[in-house]
Amino acid sequence: MSVIDLSGLKGGLRELPPLSLYIHFPWCVRKCPYCDFNSHELKNSSGQTVQWNPQAGVASGGFDEMAYVQTLLRDLEYSLPAIWGRSVSTIFMGGGTPSLFSAQAMDTLLAGIRARLRLSPDAEITMEANPGTFEAEKFRGYREAGINRLSIGIQSFNPQHLQVLGRIHDGDEARRAIDIALSCFDNVNLDLMYALPGQSVEQALQDLDTALSYGITHLSAYHLTIEPNTLYAVRTPQNLPDDEISADMQEAIEARLAAAGFEHYETSAFARPGRRSRHNVNYWQFGDYLGIGAGAHGKISSHEGIVREMRHKQPAAYIQAVAAGQPVQSSRKVKRDELPFEFMMNLLRLTGGFETRLFTERTGLPVSCIRNELQQAIQQGLLEQDATTIRPTLQGQRFLNDLLTLFLGDGDQ
Amino acid sequence: MKHIRNFSIIAHIDHGKSTLADRFIQFCGGLELREMSAQVLDSMDIEKERGITIKAQTAALQYKARDGQVYNLNLIDTPGHVDFSYEVSRSLSACEGALLVVDASQGVEAQTVANCYTAIDLGVEVVPVLNKIDLPAAEPERVSQEIEDIIGIEAIDAVRASAKSGIGIQDILEVVVSKIPPPEGNPDGPLKALIIDSWFDNYVGVVMLVRVKDGQVRPKDKIKFMATGAEHLVEQVGVFSPKSVQRDVLNAGEVGFIIAGIKELKSAKVGDTITLMKTPATEALPGFKEVQSQVFAGLYPVESHDYEALRDALEKLQLNDASLKYEPEVSQALGFGFRCGFLGLLHLEIVQERLEREFDMDLITTAPTVVYELVLKDGSVIHVDNPSRLPDPGKVEEIREPIITAHILVPQDYVGAVITLCTLKRGVQRNMQYLGRQVMLTYDMPMNEVVMDFFDRLKSTSRGYASLDYEFKEFQCADLVKLDVLVNSEKVDALSLIVHRASSVYRGRELVSKMRELIPRQMFDIAVQAAIGGHIIARETVKALRKNVLAKCYGGDITRKKKLLEKQKAGKKRMKQVGNVEIPQEAFLAILQVGEK
Repeated sequence: MSVIDLSGLKGGLRELPPLSLYIHFPWCVRKCPYCDFNSHELKNSSGQTVQWNPQAGVASGGFDEMAYVQTLLRDLEYSLPAIWGRSVSTIFMGGGTPSLFSAQAMDTLLAGIRARLRLSPDAEITMEANPGTFEAEKFRGYREAGINRLSIGIQSFNPQHLQVLGRIHDGDEARRAIDIALSCFDNVNLDLMYALPGQSVEQALQDLDTALSYGITHLSAYHLTIEPNTLYAVRTPQNLPDDEISADMQEAIEARLAAAGFEHYETSAFARPGRRSRHNVNYWQFGDYLGIGAGAHGKISSHEGIVREMRHKQPAAYIQAVAAGQPVQSSRKVKRDELPFEFMMNLLRLTGGFETRLFTERTGLPVSCIRNELQQAIQQGLLEQDATTIRPTLQGQRFLNDLLTLFLGDGDQ
Repeated sequence: MKHIRNFSIIAHIDHGKSTLADRFIQFCGGLELREMSAQVLDSMDIEKERGITIKAQTAALQYKARDGQVYNLNLIDTPGHVDFSYEVSRSLSACEGALLVVDASQGVEAQTVANCYTAIDLGVEVVPVLNKIDLPAAEPERVSQEIEDIIGIEAIDAVRASAKSGIGIQDILEVVVSKIPPPEGNPDGPLKALIIDSWFDNYVGVVMLVRVKDGQVRPKDKIKFMATGAEHLVEQVGVFSPKSVQRDVLNAGEVGFIIAGIKELKSAKVGDTITLMKTPATEALPGFKEVQSQVFAGLYPVESHDYEALRDALEKLQLNDASLKYEPEVSQALGFGFRCGFLGLLHLEIVQERLEREFDMDLITTAPTVVYELVLKDGSVIHVDNPSRLPDPGKVEEIREPIITAHILVPQDYVGAVITLCTLKRGVQRNMQYLGRQVMLTYDMPMNEVVMDFFDRLKSTSRGYASLDYEFKEFQCADLVKLDVLVNSEKVDALSLIVHRASSVYRGRELVSKMRELIPRQMFDIAVQAAIGGHIIARETVKALRKNVLAKCYGGDITRKKKLLEKQKAGKKRMKQVGNVEIPQEAFLAILQVGEK
């Protein structure tokens, strides 16, 4: 019996992309008014918000960290068949606030993961941390557990802006957190937000300069976006900078980061050479990721196509579902005609674009199926293409939404 | 025949015509109470919503009068808007009498006056009725006087009624019997039946509402249409009660329907005369006219692949609306669409609304225009209903625009404001007559000005009290120019207008400034210019957006972010791409908003 390669016919993939692991930690001390991630305030048994006390640690909180770690590992075990034999090149622990968990809990978790799947020896293992949760001892412990990259949600150093953003830390705490982080980690990202209520261009640059005064390797600068289903969507701040001012901010931030030796490699991400977030780059290169934890999303390719799955959002429901052996709440196969858009939505965020061959490699579709769209985008000056590469022009980066809608296909077809 | 009364009701919108008709039907037992939906005779949704009658309807009522005898009363409902004045005249000529219903608090309005004059001209007996007599603001004495002053009929003993509260209904029916003469006609003569209205029914084809003047018509009769020459075999005849009831015969003097297996509405034209093939009448009934479109506009699908769907929709609408005219048209900016002719602005709005509502069409309507008469240098005369088709000015000897005679009835307090408005619209006063507390203004005005926004502005300057009626007068030579609009230096043919030279600069400026407001900011600066000939007279810039990008997109965001972009795309889809600029639907009608403050 001869083996016939059917992958071309089924729209399947000839080779599998790199695989990452995302782990979600759903709890926060307080929900920020702009945040639309799956995060839940710490509550005690009587439903009251718990006052976070760094000294008291998580023991006083409303969740059992070791039980959650065990749940994560069980969740992982159910997913192993889908990623059998593949090695994991990056891990990202996001939230919520993963740094509410103790170093010991993280150590147990990472040891458990290593025992269950093949983790590349040089794997990038990132943890998100909030400045209000920093403590030198704990962070040394994280490093020893194997975490090798930190991403700190500073947002701003300006006390006034931190207050409007509902952050639990102040400017001093932010600085202290970075000091602690850099004393144990050599690969640190800071998240900053701009276009904050009442913020001037000068203030945005002040925040950036403070961030750059540290030896960080990566910086994410996000335009504050009012997302649906957030407190800000209901009570939108009145004094948001207008389009002109926020665009000025963006340009000034980009210029200053370039001068400081940071590469602008994705819409909002800047890195020193060689220090891009490998985990996020894998998302943007339409790589695979397994997502475990409450509300985590995953994207897994196989020779049959690409499946997206999602876990239960509510921590209690998630824990129960894992206990019942059904961690996945919903999963669906991405239809072939959705693939070009999904690919572009990720790849075109990268300022350097992508090697043309990657399109077929990741979607299983020939590039010819987006010929017209590419042509249109090039005509509109949003895209440029050479022998090997497709990349967004500067205009295409600024108007990425307009560029992407070209690949959305027609609703009625 | 002496127990038949054919009558219609003349009334202004909102003066209670439909409610009154419903009361008659109820009183005479035409429908069970449970069958009465509010305002039975207005059967189209749009008619009910807007409170206007578009198609003529009819009800045959059996009324036992106080003299003990039973009378057959045929109520023929008439359209109540200036756009439909021909239909009104056909309905009226099917009657021997008309009830003039006037709101006792508001008094006489221009529309009513015009219809009354039509009725009187046709020899129809006009019987005044004061409605809404129970309103606190009712002034029956004053309004009676006004009817006498303005219309010149005796109104001192007008019936006082309230259709809403059911007051005076029987009194009205009594005057119908006593004051309106029975029909005259020769029951044994050759058939002459007037088509009052016709419409398309999915099951039986075209249904014609007719008034038999002479002779009689039965199923299996072979009939002939005297204007179109078409021949058909009668399948059914009957009356509306207002439910349809089949009869064996329709006799002279009666109003009823004829069904004759006709597939196309255009072979049963309103106003035509039906006669029998074997004993044809020698002369048709007077008054037949081919309906002329007065207002033209381009209708284009937003999505070009909906062109076929739009054609199907127009075809279906035309089945029931023979006055709607359309023909294919190509615009450089908008692609394939249709040039449509309408009776007036209201008619346009109704068609547009029905296309959007009943056929789910997404439409771009270009600014309405009138027909211009052009004398070319070679002496030939052409008519142009689309500004973008105006020939090169070098070939044109002169342009003539249609002039209408407008009759405006307005309370004295607003006369000044209305005169100012008429002057602004290039009106020439022909007459001004004080009639009680109201003033009748007669103006000759360019129809183009009336089509634009005159009616709305007339209403707003007079707080809704002024009313308007108009008729076409003549084509008149005028100093007209074509105003072009350029978007990013490209001429958008669908936005061209014909305007008077004197107001062209003002119009151009206002238009581009309005368009700047209506066109959303896009990826690049958009220049909107107005030009006459090659000469730019106004320019505005829609400043470019600086960016349009989602700050974050990670593994869990795909579905949500995709939805967001789909929403953006849907927003764009409602706009028309002209060159590389997205122009929203309402920008094509920006000219209608010029001058609004």
